[in-house]
Amino acid sequence: MISDLFSMTVLIGILASGIRLATPYLYAAIGETFGQRSGVLNLGVDGQMLLGAFTAFYVAIKTGNLWLGILAAMVVGALMGLAMAFVTVNLHAEQGISGIGFYLFGLGLSDLLFQKLVGTVETVKGFPKLDIPVLSDLPVVGEIFFRQNILVYIAFALVPIAWFILNKTTLGLKIRAVGENPEAADSLGVSVARIRYFTVILGGTMSGVAGASMSIALLNVFQQNMTSGLGFIAVALVYFGAWRPWGVLGGALLFSLVNSLQLWIQVLGIPIPSDIAVMMPYILTILVLVATVSRVRAPSALTKPFERGD
Amino acid sequence: MKKFRLMVTVLLLLAVLLGACKAQEPAPAAEEPSAEEPAMEETKEPFRVAVVMPSAINDLAFSQSMYDALLTIQSEMGGEEAMEIVYSDNMFVVDDAAAAIRDYAAEGYDLVIAHGSQYGSSLQEIAPDFPETSFAWGTTVDTFGIDNIFAYEAASDQGGYVNGVLAASLSKTGILGVVGPIETGDAKLYVDGFVAGAKATDPTVQVNVNYIGSFSDVALASEAANTHIAAGADVLTGTAQMVVGAIGVAEESGALWFGTQSSQTELAPSIVVANQVYRWDIVLNEIIDLIGEGTLGGTSFVIDLANGGEVLEFNPDFDLPADVAALAEETINEISGGAVALQAPKFEDVFKVAVVMPSAINDLAFSQSMYDALLSIQEWMGGEGAMEFVYSDNMFVVDDAAAAIRDYAAEGFDLVIAHGSQYGSSLQEIAPDFPDTSFAWGTTVDTFGIDNIFAYEAASQEGGYVNGVIAASLSESGVLGVVGPIETGDAKLYVDGFVAGAKATNPDVQVNVNYIGSFSDIALASEAANTHVAAGADGLTGTAQMVVGAIGVAEESGAMWFGTQASQSGLAPANVVANQVYHWEVVLKDVIQMIADGTNGGTSFVIDLANGGEVMDFNADYELPAEVKSLALDTIKGIIDGSITIELGE
Amino acid sequence: MSNSTQEKWYAKLIDGLLPVFATIAALLVGAIMLLLLKVNPIEAYKAMWEGAFGSQNALAETLTKATPLLLVGLGICISFRGDVINIGGEGQMIVGAIMGTLVGITLLDWPGWAVIPIALITGFIGGAIWGGIPGVLKAYFNVNEILSTVMMNAIAVQLMNFLLRGPMIDPSQAELASKIPQTARLLDAFRLPRWVPTRLHLGALIAVILAFLVYLLLWRTTWGYRIRAVGQNPDASRYAGVKVRNYIVLALILSGAFAGLAGVMQVYGVNYRMITDGSASGFTGSAGFNGIVAALFGGLHPIGTIPASILFGALLVGANKMQRVVQVPSALITALNGLVVVFVVSSEIWRRRRQKRRLAAALTDEERLISEELNQGDTSSKEKEVEL
Repeated sequence: MISDLFSMTVLIGILASGIRLATPYLYAAIGETFGQRSGVLNLGVDGQMLLGAFTAFYVAIKTGNLWLGILAAMVVGALMGLAMAFVTVNLHAEQGISGIGFYLFGLGLSDLLFQKLVGTVETVKGFPKLDIPVLSDLPVVGEIFFRQNILVYIAFALVPIAWFILNKTTLGLKIRAVGENPEAADSLGVSVARIRYFTVILGGTMSGVAGASMSIALLNVFQQNMTSGLGFIAVALVYFGAWRPWGVLGGALLFSLVNSLQLWIQVLGIPIPSDIAVMMPYILTILVLVATVSRVRAPSALTKPFERGD
Repeated sequence: MKKFRLMVTVLLLLAVLLGACKAQEPAPAAEEPSAEEPAMEETKEPFRVAVVMPSAINDLAFSQSMYDALLTIQSEMGGEEAMEIVYSDNMFVVDDAAAAIRDYAAEGYDLVIAHGSQYGSSLQEIAPDFPETSFAWGTTVDTFGIDNIFAYEAASDQGGYVNGVLAASLSKTGILGVVGPIETGDAKLYVDGFVAGAKATDPTVQVNVNYIGSFSDVALASEAANTHIAAGADVLTGTAQMVVGAIGVAEESGALWFGTQSSQTELAPSIVVANQVYRWDIVLNEIIDLIGEGTLGGTSFVIDLANGGEVLEFNPDFDLPADVAALAEETINEISGGAVALQAPKFEDVFKVAVVMPSAINDLAFSQSMYDALLSIQEWMGGEGAMEFVYSDNMFVVDDAAAAIRDYAAEGFDLVIAHGSQYGSSLQEIAPDFPDTSFAWGTTVDTFGIDNIFAYEAASQEGGYVNGVIAASLSESGVLGVVGPIETGDAKLYVDGFVAGAKATNPDVQVNVNYIGSFSDIALASEAANTHVAAGADGLTGTAQMVVGAIGVAEESGAMWFGTQASQSGLAPANVVANQVYHWEVVLKDVIQMIADGTNGGTSFVIDLANGGEVMDFNADYELPAEVKSLALDTIKGIIDGSITIELGE
Repeated sequence: MSNSTQEKWYAKLIDGLLPVFATIAALLVGAIMLLLLKVNPIEAYKAMWEGAFGSQNALAETLTKATPLLLVGLGICISFRGDVINIGGEGQMIVGAIMGTLVGITLLDWPGWAVIPIALITGFIGGAIWGGIPGVLKAYFNVNEILSTVMMNAIAVQLMNFLLRGPMIDPSQAELASKIPQTARLLDAFRLPRWVPTRLHLGALIAVILAFLVYLLLWRTTWGYRIRAVGQNPDASRYAGVKVRNYIVLALILSGAFAGLAGVMQVYGVNYRMITDGSASGFTGSAGFNGIVAALFGGLHPIGTIPASILFGALLVGANKMQRVVQVPSALITALNGLVVVFVVSSEIWRRRRQKRRLAAALTDEERLISEELNQGDTSSKEKEVEL
């Protein structure tokens, strides 16, 4: 039974599944990384994802244009991000809690809009799986990596882009400075508020796309609370990844691969109770972090509101 | 001189012609309204009745039934000296009918009958202007609270039910066809009764219903009948005057016919089996008596099998097998005796229902099945005026649900439905505090022995079994996949049934089961389905609202999908093979009937294939091979008659 | 001295009313949403008021809803003072409830007056363990508590599903084909006394008493001092010889313990059994999150959390009543809940300034001196490094 796990089919299946599952986590967590790097914790990611998912779905079924749906999701996510930024930067609200408030708001509003504007569950023709000449036909590798839809590829492409921005650009420098030592940054002429607004709005935009990736690419449907807490896991993954995009990628992949592993365990009939199997990704994430004890530091100003002349 | 005589003749002719064109209008009034004269007269004034009807008096249907009834009464009373009848037929223009009604009343007729539900609003205006005149209006039970209007209706679903029973028993192809006018009123009642009777006799019978959108288009009715025959029907029925077209087609093709409203035997003596004949005289007699006592309205009447206002008349020239005749007799007795509840019970006040549900009303699964059932029950009860229902959805927090249940009970709702097995504990506390409220709890069979709790459950393993049988028969890879939420309750029953059915059909089939640990995680459900497909499954099934994700995968990969709880065919028309659809109405009807009879709880109900609470709905867009379809139908039959038992796993 | 006392009272009153004003502002925005749904906001809010305060039963429901909020909130007061974010309340409630229920379904021959305290204490310990694990992970392995508590929440749910479907299942369910995941019903003797005919149970009183005890803990005991000191300034505390690591763990243990108590109270006071629908909030009612909000409403002060939980409980109970009366989708209630949280949290900007001042006054003079010296006026850039 357990030996079944090591067959080619299963391994391919686990990897392909893992990549798909990881996609929404990637979008959301990379976005959150920017925000946290600049010192803002946003726990409302799940709510932003749901609103983004609904917006993309609705625009897609009304206009038939998927990219318009993505755009709309980005706008909606950005708006939520704007609200969060205002509440955080100008009103110095306690970030952990304001995030939960935005989460509840996004959860309720997306459901409400769905009930009033759409009504019954229906499907949409989302982004199709790409057929890349040559690459898609490669044995093994082709199936795992080269037969996904375009939003999957974009998500993975964002990782090096995010790394580059954070580590090799002036903007990234500013973001990191604001997160580590806002007073110093401020005294050097960097507008803490403007940077934080930027990162939080960016985070919201990416959460919107994360939601859209679910409703019009991977699952092609919207249902209330379809993220089922995914946004919170994404936030946790930022910590796992030590605020570095590649680390976040590692976390998202680890979590998702173990998730697909547990799916296979159940399918192959390996006698582990279903609830225990479902627990596996969560336990493993903690264990890995424990095992790789490091002296990683959070951005010093994380969750601390900045006031000039404090 | 000649010219003058010519002119007079022509004028006279014209007058006669005009008089003849309009159906018998009342002669220029010479008599005074009898109501104005003192009641005691040595020479008894004839009782004067006027009737306004929407179709011809010889339509072999609606209008004829009333006209015949009037003639019957007239002869009972002693002929024309005792009762005068005038009529205006073909009054399908409501305005003209209104004018006629008003005119008859002004002319002093004792009783003016508005025989058509479309005349209601006109009558509402007219009746108060003539307080000394008695009006009767059908078919309806609404007197508008006006005290000189009687209302009358036919429980046409009763005879319809009996006809349906007979039709299903006699049909060899198992397909019946119905030709109706417009889906409303008396027609709808009849058709619904027919379908109910047919299904009660044979759940696998197929009843195709066609409302042609007109009461008069004979050609269209005839075409509708042709369509039914082409689809394989060997028994037809229909209601309203245009059915003559359908009867003709039936006769040509040798299909059997069941009639209603009047006897239609004479049209096709070789194929008409039975007719539900309306005897309005039953009602009219009562009305006339009441008028004699001085009551001019305010009561409503129903003709049904029990009071003889509806009679099942069999065609003596048709050779009815003895057992079928006996079945008919038994059914009639049951209906008359009240054992079969066809029409909704009537309550004094609006019947108030509240339901508490754990997920959204549009989840295409558990909660939606109950919500849809309540909508249909509301219609059955007579609409919002008869039944009001409110709901609290997404009550996944047991505490909040308990507060909601308690609150609804305190607000005086008649029936509070706790639609979620996790609410049981709370209900156990709450129900005894509200002995006058009736509670219903599902899915379970435990009433806790409390006498105001009804319990209901779905034998979801039955439909699961049938789905499993079909899946195993159709699967080419021999691998099937199941995506479940949590291994408990209704979900577990369904999955176990599916596995049992698949294995019974093909012991070598592999059924992989995956419980994803959540009712809402669509992404995980979708990946679970992907995993199944990668493992070789070409047939998938699952239960609870997150299966939407799995259905998407089925569509993409070309795998078959088998649904449960609600019909999921719309989500993937090319892949969904069949669905087990829950019809909680079956239970709700019984519950409401029991409440009407004075019992608030203490019984548990199960919806299953036998009682029609679970229906196997085959996707019309999916081409199911004939032998698999008949295997499925046989399986359904086997489960119903008990020859197939479903072994459930751990 | 009297000046500052007067100042304290006045300040506290305004602080206390801030959440109320913010709530009203949120409800006004909510009124716009109601109008868009063609619902009369006045009718809706009237129903909300009635649902929360309109009758003896309504009031009892509000207080019953407030009880777990208060308990979780007390834990949050402790952990936030120690500058630890505990969003693991949901999981801690579940584990506390599981362990407490185990007591009730095993010690069937014991008398009620013994079982109830044992069960409550066991639940307290259960939550403590579930909170302690992230605490240890943070202190010794540098695993951030947000990550660990989020994971622990999910694990607790699956654990609950597993136990309630399997080893802890109600024997009467075990025979049925459809097994409802629930434990056996608690014996009558084991239930917390109720104020009949309402659902208000003794737990509410216990929670209020505990609030005062927590106040004493935080301001009158060494532990309390140190937790607060570590939260305010870990470097100064380390310098003063306090083992920072241990107190971080302690903050999370205590915080988890109170959440665990909230969970076991729900079982012994309200439901009389543990039952799940497979999600966390089906059992907890999101008290693990809402308790955080309540604590914030109460200014992160144990005594302030009492009226705050009542207010928030009233909001939740009233909102559900509103849903029933005007028949709005429950989704609107969720969104409204979110709006209130955002508005109240945003209004904190004023309260926190005052709070900072009061906190500074509560430290001993010596600690303040040290803190000032080290900070040189900088209070917000500190390295949160926890060295091994």
